[in-house]
Amino acid sequence: MSVQNYYLPESLGEALELLARYGPDLLVIAGGTVAMPLINEGVSTPVQVMGLRRTGLDEMARSNGNVKIGATTTLTRLLEESPVPLLRTAARNTAAWTIRNMGTVGGNLFSPPPAGDVAVALLALDAEVTLTGSGGERVVPLARFWTGFMTNVMQADELVTAITLPVPTGKTAYIKYGRKQAHTPAVVTVAAHLVVEGGRVQQARLALGAVGPHPLRCPQAEAVLTGSELSEDAITEAAQTAAGECDPFTDAIASEWYRRKMVPVYVARALRQIAQEEAAS
Amino acid sequence: MKPKIVSFTLNGRPVDVMVRPMTTLQNVLRRQLELTATKAGCRQGSCGSCTVLVNGEPMAACLLPIEDVEGQEVLTLEGITPLHGLHPIQEAFFENFAVQCGYCTPGMIMVTKALLEREPRPDEATIREALSGNLCRCTGYQAIVQAVTDAADRLHGNGGVS
Ligand SMILES: Cc1cc2nc3c(=O)[nH]c(=O)nc-3n(C[C@H](O)[C@H](O)[C@H](O)COP(=O)(O)OP(=O)(O)OC[C@H]3O[C@@H](n4cnc5c(N)ncnc54)[C@H](O)[C@@H]3O)c2cc1C
Ligand code: FES
Ligand code: FES
Repeated sequence: MSVQNYYLPESLGEALELLARYGPDLLVIAGGTVAMPLINEGVSTPVQVMGLRRTGLDEMARSNGNVKIGATTTLTRLLEESPVPLLRTAARNTAAWTIRNMGTVGGNLFSPPPAGDVAVALLALDAEVTLTGSGGERVVPLARFWTGFMTNVMQADELVTAITLPVPTGKTAYIKYGRKQAHTPAVVTVAAHLVVEGGRVQQARLALGAVGPHPLRCPQAEAVLTGSELSEDAITEAAQTAAGECDPFTDAIASEWYRRKMVPVYVARALRQIAQEEAAS
Repeated sequence: MKPKIVSFTLNGRPVDVMVRPMTTLQNVLRRQLELTATKAGCRQGSCGSCTVLVNGEPMAACLLPIEDVEGQEVLTLEGITPLHGLHPIQEAFFENFAVQCGYCTPGMIMVTKALLEREPRPDEATIREALSGNLCRCTGYQAIVQAVTDAADRLHGNGGVS
């Protein structure tokens, strides 16, 4: 059976009504860059579909030290207008121009690894996800949004409506390692945010993409870094620790073995970037 | 499944098409309107051969449900090709040997058009980055990058800046 209805609601309210009506039988798409290839291929055969392009959920605003990004903000707008440099870097490293003009920030949270290159940066920035359903709004830390490969805490009557993060106070680094310089799936993606004061790391957040069922934080490596002077020894230890905290997989891009080897290499490079910036400032 | 009518502007002219729900812009262009400059390489968003401009922005026609372009302006290679002769970007591709089988060319040219409208004189890194979503399995890219630089000269004159 082919698609019976493709709804394009013009407001969040209308979108939620449709969701309440159809529940899990309604396929939601935003930019369509993950969902449409599956439909074209015949892997996904939805009957009722709702597109979010006209819901107006694409506002990006800064207030009270927070940045709020509407779920349907395109990756191109994130690249061009995000007040947070780490997010611009993440957007630049995601897909290519054409796809960034379509793909959304919200959709990136639902992309199967190795995709999720913006989500990794959001995770390192301690972002929160706003979920809106018929019962109202709730806010979930991104670190607790995913529950497994392609599974999350969102209910059938909910949508992701926004992603909010505090404007970073520390230094950040982002490295996506792929087989090509651009438009390439990740072998591993690293995003880090460190607050260093008086030569010591006061707070560390380290996130990895493409090496687990969803983007992951590395709490043990973060503990190694916290309180350290970000010396080469601390960096090496944190990098090795992170390699033990991830759960890589094999795909057409890289083997599990290779990904695990590359995790400490790229974690160390990202941390060194911050150490060098810190030394220079 | 009810067919419906979708109206948009295609290459400067209003069109109405009767479609099944969620037909892609690519299928409407190629199968219904028989405008086959827009190619169908992968239908996965990965190759760039179906790139068209929607309100001036490059988009993958294979990933775009036609309903999403209701009321929007779509530009395809047919829309920039003059009745006689070639558009300066087409000339630049032709004369720099940036075309072999030609399958990637329409997508390359549409991205080039959008790029040169934003940046009249892109450097090589900018050109390569802009075209990174467009795969060519024949030419090896060098000729394409040269063609884009040459197209910039043709459109904006090669005196001065470059
Ligand atoms: C050629 C190509 C290259 C790519 N390269 C990269 C890359 O380098 N890095 C990367 O990270 N990704 C990449 N992607 C994947 C994708 O483009 C991005 O992850 C993008 O951010 C997905 O957003 P979307 O809006 O298009 O998702 P969609 O396809 O619209 O959404 C996918 C699914 O997510 C859910 N969903 C989306 N938005 C919401 C919402 N607001 N509320 C509830 N559910 C929602 C729905 O279930 C939907 O079916 C690539 C894709 C392609 C085609
Ligand atoms: S056919 Fe659309 S990107 Fe390949
Ligand atoms: S000329 Fe053949 S694919 Fe580019």
